[in-house]
Amino acid sequence: MAEVGKIRIKLPQSIKKGEVIPVRALIIHPMETGLRKDKDGKPIPAYYINDVKVYYGDELITSMEWTIAVSADPFMTFYVKADKAAPLKIVYKDNKGGIFEESVQINPQ
Amino acid sequence: MSRGTLSRLIMFLLIACVISVIAPQNSVAEEIKEYTPNVSPEEYEKRYNKAFGEFTKKMAEEGNPADMLLDEGKELFHKVDGTQGRSCASCHGQNGEKLKGAATTYPKYDPGLKGIKTFAMQINICREKHMGAKPLKYDSPEQLALEIYTKSLSNGMPINVSIDGPARPFYEAGKKFYYTRMGQWNFSCALCHIKYAGHMLRVNLLSVNRNHADHWPSYRLEWAGTGSLQKRIQGCVKNMRAKTSELHSEEYRNVELYLTHQSNGLPIQVPGLRM
Repeated sequence: MAEVGKIRIKLPQSIKKGEVIPVRALIIHPMETGLRKDKDGKPIPAYYINDVKVYYGDELITSMEWTIAVSADPFMTFYVKADKAAPLKIVYKDNKGGIFEESVQINPQ
Repeated sequence: MSRGTLSRLIMFLLIACVISVIAPQNSVAEEIKEYTPNVSPEEYEKRYNKAFGEFTKKMAEEGNPADMLLDEGKELFHKVDGTQGRSCASCHGQNGEKLKGAATTYPKYDPGLKGIKTFAMQINICREKHMGAKPLKYDSPEQLALEIYTKSLSNGMPINVSIDGPARPFYEAGKKFYYTRMGQWNFSCALCHIKYAGHMLRVNLLSVNRNHADHWPSYRLEWAGTGSLQKRIQGCVKNMRAKTSELHSEEYRNVELYLTHQSNGLPIQVPGLRM
């Protein structure tokens, strides 16, 4: 699989001002629960994203707490009211201190 | 009745017995008893949507993790590698212009191999012969990325696999493998995917084999990763608790030919997303 922490954010092709648009975000991450064991019987250490924050411009518009219950390569959809031209930034943090972020520009017409 | 005629009669009966025991086994071994499909592909589609909804289709369009590999494959396609200072693009054109529709005829017979050649093998043959580069390990991220990109150039074009001429015996061998019962559970591929297709096996809906070969390499939720049809076949054989072979071994290539021929006429959709 592709390397850990690769992010892809998808926006609708045309955005009108004031419209509520779906934002789709995908990140490559193993989301290891810590409950599994490898072939030798040793537990595989937990490795998962536990904190997600979404910024629209400077404003924090939503944040999520994820646990081991979220699947590998998490994919999420949320809705944003596109009322200004600003970058939309998503920051993922995992329990080993990794920080992955990606931003896209929203340009409503 | 004299002793001579009696012994002759016994001999005749014995031979008749032996023949009657041997003959049916021979005919079973030579002929494949085909199953009639349990459901039509349309009926299967209905049952699938009823059981699982359309989330895999939506996810394939909106957030297929294998799309990341597609982007990597495009980079690899234009990257110079090997001793001859060439990339895939130096022969096949920028963005693979000359490769459009190339994937539709694979797998096909190759005189050099004296067997069936899969698309992944062709990529490695190209790399060795024309680029002087090392062949990529099957089902490694790089190999999958390159295969997904080059196959996706034929997206939307109908599969057109030939089983005439020299490919015929390999097609028959693949079909025989598909119908052979194997493993601890004594299953065959055809048992689940033709005879009992459309039934529930615990929480799984047994699929019709018509759409089995048109979307590989695919992202599978069960694997939480991307893999090829070869890996899927290997997984199926393992699930039957039979002895597995290596990826791109002769028997798996033959099955791939049989399966792809079942999907003839369907458009290629790479990368796919399945449960």
